[in-house]
Amino acid sequence: MAPLLEIEDLHTHIVLREGTVRAVDGVSLYVDPGETLGIVGESGSGKTMTALSIMDLLPVGGHIADGSIHLDGRQISGLSDEQMRNIRGNEIGMIFQDPLTSLNPTMTVGRQIAEAVQLHREVSREQAMDRAAEVLGLVGLPRPKERLDEYPHQFSGGMRQRVMIAMALACEPKLLIADEPTTALDVTIQKQILELIDGLRQRLGMSVILVTHDLGVIAGRADRVAVMYAGRIAETTSTTTLFANPRHPYTEALFHALPDKAAETRERLYSIPGAPPDLIHPPQGCRFAPRCRYAQAHCREEEPQLRGETVGHTFACFYPVGETERGGQRAPAAAAAAARTEAPAEHFAKVPGEVVLATKDLVKDFPVTSGILQRRVGSVSAVAGVSFDIRHGETFGLVGESGCGKTTIGRLMVGLEKATAGTISFGTVDLAGVSGREYRRLRRKIQYMFQDSYASLDPRMRAGSILREPMVVQGIGSRREQERSVTEMLENVGLPGSSVERYPHEFSGGQRQRLGFARALMLRPELIVADEPVSALDVSIQAQVLNMMSALQRDLGLTYLFISHDLAVVRYLSNHIGVMYLGKLVEVGPAEEVYLTPAHPYTRGLIDSAPVADPVAEKAKVKAGVTGELPSAINPPSGCRFRTRCPFAQEVCAEVEPPLRPFSEQGHMAACHFPLEVPLSLETSLAAEPS
Amino acid sequence: MTMMIPPSEETPGAGLAEQELIVPELAEQDSALTAAEAQERGLAPSVKSRSMLRRGWEVFRENKLALASLGLALFMIGFCFLGPLFYHTDQVHTNLENVLCPPSASHPLGCDNVGYDVLGRLMIAGQTSIEVGVAAAVVAVLFGTLYGALAGFVGGPLDSLMMRLVDAGLSIPYITVLIILSVIFHPNKITMIFVIAAFYWLAVARLIRGETLTLRTREYVQAVKVIGGRKSRAITRHIVPNAIGTIIVQGTFAVADAIIILAGLGFLGLGVQPPDTDWGTMLSGGLTYLQSSQSYWWLIYPAGICIILICIAFNFIGDALRDAFETRLQRR
Amino acid sequence: MVGYLIRRIGQAIIVLFIVTVVTLALVHLFPGGPIPALLGPRATVAQVAYYNHLYGFDQPFYLQYIKWVGQILHGNFGYSAKLNISVAALIAQDLPKTIVLVGLGTIVSLAFGIPLGMYQAVHRYTAGDYALTGVAFLGYATPTFFVALLLVEWFAVDTHFFPPFAPQSSSALGVLSQPRALVLPVAAFAFVLFALWSRYMRSSVMDNLVQDYVRTARAKGAGERRVLWGHIFRNSLTSIVTLLGLSLPTLVAGAIFIEVVFNYPGMGLAFYNAALNVDYQVLLGFTVLATVATIVGNLLADIGYAILDPRVRYS
Repeated sequence: MAPLLEIEDLHTHIVLREGTVRAVDGVSLYVDPGETLGIVGESGSGKTMTALSIMDLLPVGGHIADGSIHLDGRQISGLSDEQMRNIRGNEIGMIFQDPLTSLNPTMTVGRQIAEAVQLHREVSREQAMDRAAEVLGLVGLPRPKERLDEYPHQFSGGMRQRVMIAMALACEPKLLIADEPTTALDVTIQKQILELIDGLRQRLGMSVILVTHDLGVIAGRADRVAVMYAGRIAETTSTTTLFANPRHPYTEALFHALPDKAAETRERLYSIPGAPPDLIHPPQGCRFAPRCRYAQAHCREEEPQLRGETVGHTFACFYPVGETERGGQRAPAAAAAAARTEAPAEHFAKVPGEVVLATKDLVKDFPVTSGILQRRVGSVSAVAGVSFDIRHGETFGLVGESGCGKTTIGRLMVGLEKATAGTISFGTVDLAGVSGREYRRLRRKIQYMFQDSYASLDPRMRAGSILREPMVVQGIGSRREQERSVTEMLENVGLPGSSVERYPHEFSGGQRQRLGFARALMLRPELIVADEPVSALDVSIQAQVLNMMSALQRDLGLTYLFISHDLAVVRYLSNHIGVMYLGKLVEVGPAEEVYLTPAHPYTRGLIDSAPVADPVAEKAKVKAGVTGELPSAINPPSGCRFRTRCPFAQEVCAEVEPPLRPFSEQGHMAACHFPLEVPLSLETSLAAEPS
Repeated sequence: MTMMIPPSEETPGAGLAEQELIVPELAEQDSALTAAEAQERGLAPSVKSRSMLRRGWEVFRENKLALASLGLALFMIGFCFLGPLFYHTDQVHTNLENVLCPPSASHPLGCDNVGYDVLGRLMIAGQTSIEVGVAAAVVAVLFGTLYGALAGFVGGPLDSLMMRLVDAGLSIPYITVLIILSVIFHPNKITMIFVIAAFYWLAVARLIRGETLTLRTREYVQAVKVIGGRKSRAITRHIVPNAIGTIIVQGTFAVADAIIILAGLGFLGLGVQPPDTDWGTMLSGGLTYLQSSQSYWWLIYPAGICIILICIAFNFIGDALRDAFETRLQRR
Repeated sequence: MVGYLIRRIGQAIIVLFIVTVVTLALVHLFPGGPIPALLGPRATVAQVAYYNHLYGFDQPFYLQYIKWVGQILHGNFGYSAKLNISVAALIAQDLPKTIVLVGLGTIVSLAFGIPLGMYQAVHRYTAGDYALTGVAFLGYATPTFFVALLLVEWFAVDTHFFPPFAPQSSSALGVLSQPRALVLPVAAFAFVLFALWSRYMRSSVMDNLVQDYVRTARAKGAGERRVLWGHIFRNSLTSIVTLLGLSLPTLVAGAIFIEVVFNYPGMGLAFYNAALNVDYQVLLGFTVLATVATIVGNLLADIGYAILDPRVRYS
């Protein structure tokens, strides 16, 4: 069967003021009809530019310098803009990452979809709108006809992405290009959207190109994968083969950097040193060589081409890892195994000590005002009665999706918000009530790490001053002593001493996170609240930061409250996990128990929705997940807040709010009338079958 | 005559900002080999880190137009303040013999309607225009910044009240009130400074308040609280330094606007009174003799062109300053 | 939307209140009060006292204010002793002509400014863009009255294409019936405004051109024309609408200067003459009127913005 799309030796250049970036430097791919090709890579790998090149949607300064692209045997690269327009939205559809900014905010959803139809078909306005309603129904939007006249901002994130998909599919294209389609969405919604795309692909007989940085998404959705690095393809093969037997050192390194695999053994993550090369002046030789643990001199001189022993599996490396066709193992593979275990096996804090922080019935409401006088018409219940304990020396992971209140809890801990009710006991002090001098004094015990380091570091201050500031404010030490502390801390977080002179913008993303962490450590706190510290980082950089945080926790005896939406990371790092939904703590307990034997249906749904980098496991998850949309936080559902999306909900769930009940001796609790596990000390048949 | 600030100009040579926005993936590219990492890996020696001000100055320097404008502004200032030292004319006593004399060797730009030498008068008028313009701008920006920063930082009902007052002030067509005030108070340089500043500060206050509001929500300001710092520290050490850029840019535009406002009042005969003069007052002479049988072009062009030149210069400088502060801040 | 409007109207009323109080207070800044200026230097103390009582200037401020507001609400803006005509009548006579000038000038400036601003954004960094940018900067730096002077000098005095004076007529229609005489005043008025609109439009369109939704539109197969006019145009207009609403003080100032240079018989010239003659009733009346117009202008701009941006409408 001839491939639907063929890309041959594509070179895409972007002309910038400082030079020409060779964003795509010799990429060849093909997509068969009806299959999903995944293109995976980190930022700067060229995956998005490859996708944009197909339809010539390159940004200003970008152009295809060489190579050809064929669709169904016809050449589509090098066409005039007018000819290309016939293909865009017609034979090829594309969806983008952020559905909020990717939709015109001042045009109704119906008109935007109808526009796609009218551009390519000779139809009347009504017919186009009818088609729009039809397509909206196809993507799973309830009551599509009524929603045609609404505007994008009136839809939720997941709904907006469905609208985008509808728009891309309105003319039944042969190929759908999806560029990070779910990165901006909650994990449960992500699963819905990915399933939708998959379902539509089968129904419409379409091919899909899925561009993403998330290996879990690839594992679950792609038939074949191409791994890109620095503008070239490092390895390409079927998904099962890639995960089972990666041959390129970069692919292998990526897998070793994922917390998924390491979670059970709790071993140190492999972090790839260095950074991707400068694509204005690409290096001679293999582009990954400077960061490769197996690199030889030869690798730096000559650039390896894609080759392989079987047709279906090619990679660009002179000294590949993994198993060869002949069943033998090459020497470097052994080195890899050795490299992994050389780090200390016991790399986590031991048994947690006594309770350092306990919240009880914590409540935070945000007022919603409207009207002339800005009267309070209601409130958003961001945190609605949350109680949990954090023990000394442990990591408590707080996980949940957007709107669950985890960030608010973090802010309540450090006084960036004032609690509406409830207590936060830190030793003998109630944090919820302190202010003024006592509050300032307490800062020496509890510190905070912001999510976005770039925004949390004053761009006008040098790193040295930023790090010294906590001590200056608290009046600790002389200037000399402060500077010495700073130098010491920089070493702790793995930054060079010369950093003190630099400004935040001169650091990379990962380095800024380290700076943020260093600042949090300057006052030698007992407890650090970290809000999404690694969410914005590439996998390899994420591994570096996580390793640093674990090591420092062990060395300095720190306690962490680790807030994240990423279950894999939370599971890897945490001793205890708390799962939040719409302001409520629905499940809490030791990490392994919560993850392996979740009692709450939402936790189960969360675990099932989160993509794991294992194709076999992903395929097994076909039916699971969480349906529906997040309800409004201003008017949350009565009784159990999760009942609107829960497959086990009964009448009692709407009337009575379920209390937290214990499920084990180790403190595993969940709030559900019909939990998935058998609660402790309850012999009744209320419990549903564990799934 | 406007009190509007020109929108951000993509000055040539600084067009990178736009492209940086389109290609987010490449942002990592640009910072991929930062000086720090290069040093880590033993590659090229580290580049000396430069402060905001230094980098801003470098961007400014690259902008040819801005440099030319700076030169022009300095030239005009020199012309007005140093010129009379080299070119002596009597600007106090009228000379009715020379009324409306056309340009000649002894009077390169002719004489005006009471016999003053126009070229010399141009310098004196320039002194007034520039002094009042700069002073009014400084007063307006100082007061407007304090007021706006206070309102923005305090927030709540006090902020609302303060801004209602500013809105009220901005709703009054300033020209009518300026005219009325000029009629009431016989204007001299000092009163003109305060009269003009009395209106201009409103626009500045609104702008600075907006800026303060934005900065207040920045996480690095919140971080001050987390490390135990007081509000005063947040304002003085973090908000003000980051707002300085905006303040300076506004101040530069304010000078140009103030000069034009003063010229307008002078043109109507309501500005500074003889023997003081400013470029606008000189132009009122041009109006009187506009319809006569012969053209008294030297009453019109010199003063007008001076206004245009200095205002263009300050506008370009302000624009370049804005680019210098903004592009560098955006760069990741 | 309705709530939004009601809130804005409420704010506008508060602002109006503050402004009228301030305006009335201005009167008290006249040295000795307005009466001595009105009567001239030879008025006796008794005469001053008499008129003070007659006009109510010896009463406490708040009473004067209430009385004055009451009068205004009844359409009574006072009486101009210098011109021997009620201020209301003066306004009724001269304001329409100013509206013709300002209206035409604004329309012309928008008609040129918006399309040219879009052109500049689409063809940015070309020679045409730089040229128009230069013109815009010139417009920012040139006072309105100087533009007027130059136009008269070039087209009326030196070359006699157009008459040097504006149409002299007591009615708006009369003014419109002499279009040739209108050209220069309208052109002078429009020039500076043109600079404003074209710069903001350019900036707004350039901002929109790099937005994600434009990329989506292109991915659907829309051509540049469609992207520009069907998508970007409407989203760029919001900044212009806001600006229009806020531009009333500028329009008023422009009107005054143009009318003075061209001797155009509108409200601006009347105001100027009233200033020279210290005819305070006229000054006050016109200031209040212009202020109300400005406030209404802001309100209309907000409404326009809400119409253009559905996020404001349905929030």
